[in-house]
Amino acid sequence: MPNIRYANMCHWKSIPYRRIENFRDFYYEDRTNTAYYSDWDTILKYQTALGFDGIEIAPWDLSDILPLFGSPEAFTAFAKKRGVEVIGMFHGAHASHDAGHEEEAIRAGREAVDTIVKFGGQYMNTCPTQNYCGAGPLSHKEVQQCAKVLNEIGRYATDNGVKIGIHNEFFCAINLPNHRELIESTDPRYVHYCLDTAQVAILGEDILTFYKDYHDRISTFHLKDTASARQPDSVRYSRDPEITDDGKRWFWEPGLGELDLEGLYRLLKEHEFKGWMSIEYDGSPDMLASMALTRYHLDTVLRPIYD
Amino acid sequence: MNSDRIAISLDLINRHYQEPNRNRFESKYFWEELYPLIRAAGFRSIEIPYEPVWQFGGRSGVPMTRYSIETKYESAANYRAVLAAAGIERVAGVTFDPNLFMRNDNLGFFFGASGHFAGEALGHAADLGADYLAISPSPYYGRAAHYHPDLEAKRGVFAEKTTELLTGLAEKATGTGVTVVMRQDYWSVFRGDDMAAMLAGLPDAVKLDVDTASLTIAGIDPAAFVESHVDRIGCVHLTDTDFVDMGETWKTANPEFPEDRATQVFRDPGTGSVDLAGVAGLLDRVGYAGPVTVSARQTRDPFRALLRTRALLNQFSN
Repeated sequence: MPNIRYANMCHWKSIPYRRIENFRDFYYEDRTNTAYYSDWDTILKYQTALGFDGIEIAPWDLSDILPLFGSPEAFTAFAKKRGVEVIGMFHGAHASHDAGHEEEAIRAGREAVDTIVKFGGQYMNTCPTQNYCGAGPLSHKEVQQCAKVLNEIGRYATDNGVKIGIHNEFFCAINLPNHRELIESTDPRYVHYCLDTAQVAILGEDILTFYKDYHDRISTFHLKDTASARQPDSVRYSRDPEITDDGKRWFWEPGLGELDLEGLYRLLKEHEFKGWMSIEYDGSPDMLASMALTRYHLDTVLRPIYD
Repeated sequence: MNSDRIAISLDLINRHYQEPNRNRFESKYFWEELYPLIRAAGFRSIEIPYEPVWQFGGRSGVPMTRYSIETKYESAANYRAVLAAAGIERVAGVTFDPNLFMRNDNLGFFFGASGHFAGEALGHAADLGADYLAISPSPYYGRAAHYHPDLEAKRGVFAEKTTELLTGLAEKATGTGVTVVMRQDYWSVFRGDDMAAMLAGLPDAVKLDVDTASLTIAGIDPAAFVESHVDRIGCVHLTDTDFVDMGETWKTANPEFPEDRATQVFRDPGTGSVDLAGVAGLLDRVGYAGPVTVSARQTRDPFRALLRTRALLNQFSN
């Protein structure tokens, strides 16, 4: 058994069919590649073929997946039959810094944990609160409130066999000045960390230093590359910077950016990391191509360092 | 029918389903490149689907909410100026469907959120100088039934609250220049007699939308529908299809993607089997002078769809 297992963070947009039985006829209707991206059976085959045997879903997938499959358990069984397991779900702890929303933020977090349990997942990677623009800068008290909420959700998650991991976005109200403060204010028994390599680099952290400092908190990864590390406040704190007006990409497939991912893998080896690593392709124009390129980079560059 | 008066819906851009290069649809540059191409294809006006999803999570590059327009252009007036510079003279209408909010078993949440955002859509339509707000009165029947297995038992409450929502919208629309029109979706909770009953309970200010493909799918002849509702029509959508729902696809959770046999339900105008030229001629004969919008939703190639649609409209007699 390898030390690291690979999953994909689900960035497929809506997939409308479970399985297309009339694939050839559907293709011939307009002779485009739509048929190749329209059913979960095919999508999961791509994953399995490329060696990604886990999938991390997102809450925005639920309104499509649940009516389509009927239940979380049915989706999990369908995926498992095709060699893929649901490892967890992303969650946004909206307004967790606001004491007035404490009850609602904890309730929403617990409900998300319940959903993950139904999918058979074990991770809930959690954006600590909303975007900086409109909410930041946060006071010390607000950061502590955020930590309080995460601890409460984390305690419930732990009791239910789920690990929550702080997942910081570069445009989140938890940002460079208070990112480490939040981590250190949470209870390590209940709150872990999902290292999104590109997000944290864009935020302004050196990912190798960060991993060395917090390796014992890290439960899982969102592995992706970037050519835009250390963005200034004017970018990170701006309104809605995630999707750029001119199509500039923040995120690239491992090996196509500038991060020292080989250095990271040497550290993973040193600290004997064991667990799931999700690859994330947000911003990719072609998810299947990104998945294949990633697999090549993993097999030829990263896995030879540590597997 | 003079095709200069026919708008095209921005629903020809696939925002929600997976396909290569879909990511570009979320950036502002894509849309600003699109508008002059729409004009080059001979369209002077557009319809905008109002989709609240684009204001959640900071993804405002898709110009389909008030929030998105304010984020990227500061005001509807500035956005209209950008459209005008690209040759798009006006926004003919705005559409809204409440599917996003059918996500749990709480009807209060569904009607609260739907009512709020339908109001936003109406305000946006007014700011844009649009003629109509075309609203789907229900979510997909199958999606509603998933979260409300007792949907049939709740039908009365559902109808009552929907009527209340539409009546309130019509009142808000008074004096704005925007007409509220009710869509005839083949997947609706309200079809046939239920739709007729709802219509009877709504103020006259709420008009009907004729969607040629949706009617055809439900087994209703669009021409006959036009003739029997001519005094209540507030908007016409020229949409095409080759699909007739013989197996209760309308009751499924994702009715625009028939689960027993995959097919492109909404075809590019002119590539299905609806007699769109015939409907256009009939509208002229009955003296309909209201908004007409062509839609290529579900197209697999928006730029080909633009030209296919223009090629079809070129065949209409003026």
